[in-house]
Amino acid sequence: MKRVEIGHGSGGKLTKELIEEVFLKHFDFPELHTLQDATYLPGLSKIAVTTDSYVVRPLFFPGGDIGKLSISGTVNDLTVSGALPRYITVGFIVEEGLPLETLERVVSSMAETARSAGVKIVAGDTKVVEKGKCDGIYINTAGVGEVVRELSPKLVKPGDKVIVTGFIGDHGIAISLAREEFEVETPVESDCAPLNSLLTPLFELPGLRFMRDPTRGGLATVLVELSESSNLGVRIYELQIPVRKSVRFICDMLGYDPLYLANEGKAVVVVSQEDAERALEILKSYPLGKDAAVIGEVVEEPGVVLVTSVGGERRLELLEEDPLPRIC
Amino acid sequence: MDRVKEFVELIHSLAPKDRKVKIMNVCGSHEHTIAYSGLRSLMPETVELVPGPGCPVCVCSESDVINAINLSKRPDVILCTYGDMLRVPTRIGSIRSNGGNYRMVSAPHEVLKIARENPDKKVVFFSIGFETTTAPTAALLEMGVPKNLFILTSHKLTPEIMEVLVKDSEVGVDAFVAPGHVSAIVGSNAWRIFPENYGIPTVVAGFEPENLLLAFVRILYQIKEGKAELENVYKGVVKPEGNRRAQELMYKYFEKADVNWRGIGNIPKSGLEFRPEYAQLNAKAVFNLPEIKEEKIPGCICDRVVLGKAYPTDCKLYGTACTPRNPKGPCMVSLEGACNIWFRSGVKTA
Repeated sequence: MKRVEIGHGSGGKLTKELIEEVFLKHFDFPELHTLQDATYLPGLSKIAVTTDSYVVRPLFFPGGDIGKLSISGTVNDLTVSGALPRYITVGFIVEEGLPLETLERVVSSMAETARSAGVKIVAGDTKVVEKGKCDGIYINTAGVGEVVRELSPKLVKPGDKVIVTGFIGDHGIAISLAREEFEVETPVESDCAPLNSLLTPLFELPGLRFMRDPTRGGLATVLVELSESSNLGVRIYELQIPVRKSVRFICDMLGYDPLYLANEGKAVVVVSQEDAERALEILKSYPLGKDAAVIGEVVEEPGVVLVTSVGGERRLELLEEDPLPRIC
Repeated sequence: MDRVKEFVELIHSLAPKDRKVKIMNVCGSHEHTIAYSGLRSLMPETVELVPGPGCPVCVCSESDVINAINLSKRPDVILCTYGDMLRVPTRIGSIRSNGGNYRMVSAPHEVLKIARENPDKKVVFFSIGFETTTAPTAALLEMGVPKNLFILTSHKLTPEIMEVLVKDSEVGVDAFVAPGHVSAIVGSNAWRIFPENYGIPTVVAGFEPENLLLAFVRILYQIKEGKAELENVYKGVVKPEGNRRAQELMYKYFEKADVNWRGIGNIPKSGLEFRPEYAQLNAKAVFNLPEIKEEKIPGCICDRVVLGKAYPTDCKLYGTACTPRNPKGPCMVSLEGACNIWFRSGVKTA
């Protein structure tokens, strides 16, 4: 008998199989089949909708908490879909016995994040389950945004530039450090943040093609999926990819690859060659984008190739399973 | 970057045009760097980088793993071992899939705490590996261990298996990159036999891609000049005599023995077992563990991969029936196994 495995939640190959073999098989709605971060709803023109669930462990970690994460994640899914995030709904599944104070810390963090992102929380629901039936708090959200730019992998063309908006891997490492007792000199904080103020100025660029926030599965997974859905390839250069020294060090120690680590405050932006410089200029003018960099380009031949620090080439593929489950 | 470019250009100019050169590494960390830095894509057509026996988990005999599984199922035992060992498949499953009493450790000293916290249990440390893990186990014994701690050893020696490879004409090794970590313990002199007795250029290297490229340059230079010498491009870490104290400790507790290598068979004096005077620490003696005849895994060619006679992608199970999530053979389990490294680094087909 097939059972649900942790890897089915990884965002990688198993998740893809689960989506195709269970969800899409039964949810036969064409709008859903675009499989983007948010869906454009035809009849109601200019509206994008997204939903997400948050089960991160631990609830509080350096740089954020499950509340900040849930609002940031929802805002980011709408933003990278070319929409201005407007409204969010929240559903809580809370474990019996959780200190009310903990719940309140999470809720106030959500409120603060929503205010800073300029989105309103407009509906909610709470369910409590018996002790041991969930791990503290799980949160489900839905987000609605107003579509300004319709973006799609289908718009991507060979020669386009690939940009990341800052250091990758921070969230994944922050979570793994929060779970284990490692002694590290420089603590790594999660990058968890709403990105709408950083990314919406890019909407005016005619050459903006595609954006995605590299959460579970990280940068590599986003690029492999982009290659699959555009039928084009991506070439990225290891030396141009921003990775903190401390993150690289911890990755070497624990056997992680930063390219596959989750981010919660970064975006991958694909933009035409002509607009690449302007896009970088805009991103770098914001604190959240000051470390943005062009990391590669779109090419004809499908597949994702990493040009390594010594000039060697390595193909990037979907990971079978996430080295770090329950990251968001 | 300039040095790297220079090394790659030298490799291309020094490499023979009319014949293949097989350079073998015998260390999972070297293979990791080669795969993750894409060094194969930088080599001329005539230079083949072959992964050899660099994965201690992969060559641990099935008998040792089955004995460990059976120990973990005893109610009076807690079995401790390294993470990769928990998933190594045998005919009766893995340590993990058998669901007995086991704990994962990342260094030998962690078992001390487990033994002290569980005085009513017999704590067995399944200690495996090449010289790099044997020395820390010996150091642990030297510190003095609680009476309820026993060691199940499956320790192997690197120079000995390399000598087997050299004598095997099917492998056809032209040169060795000697492993940096092992060399730090045994000393670079341990590899002297390869150039001197077998005419095989041997270069000790570290783990940065640039350092490995330099090792390839030196090897190709020797081949071009018709020489076979021992060189060390990892001098900051590796001394000719190695770590004397570590060697003394290893041979205080252990002695060379004929041991079984998974899929390969018994190789004389290629492993380390407890000296008879330490039988009270030796789990094989204390629990009277049998030597179990190995059963081959159908379709698996891990033995040929370990010996450098086949590449991971030559196996018909690779990437289909055998993946890191569902490994059929030991080389797909360990992070140091060639199949696992190739698969994770994006090699999907030959």
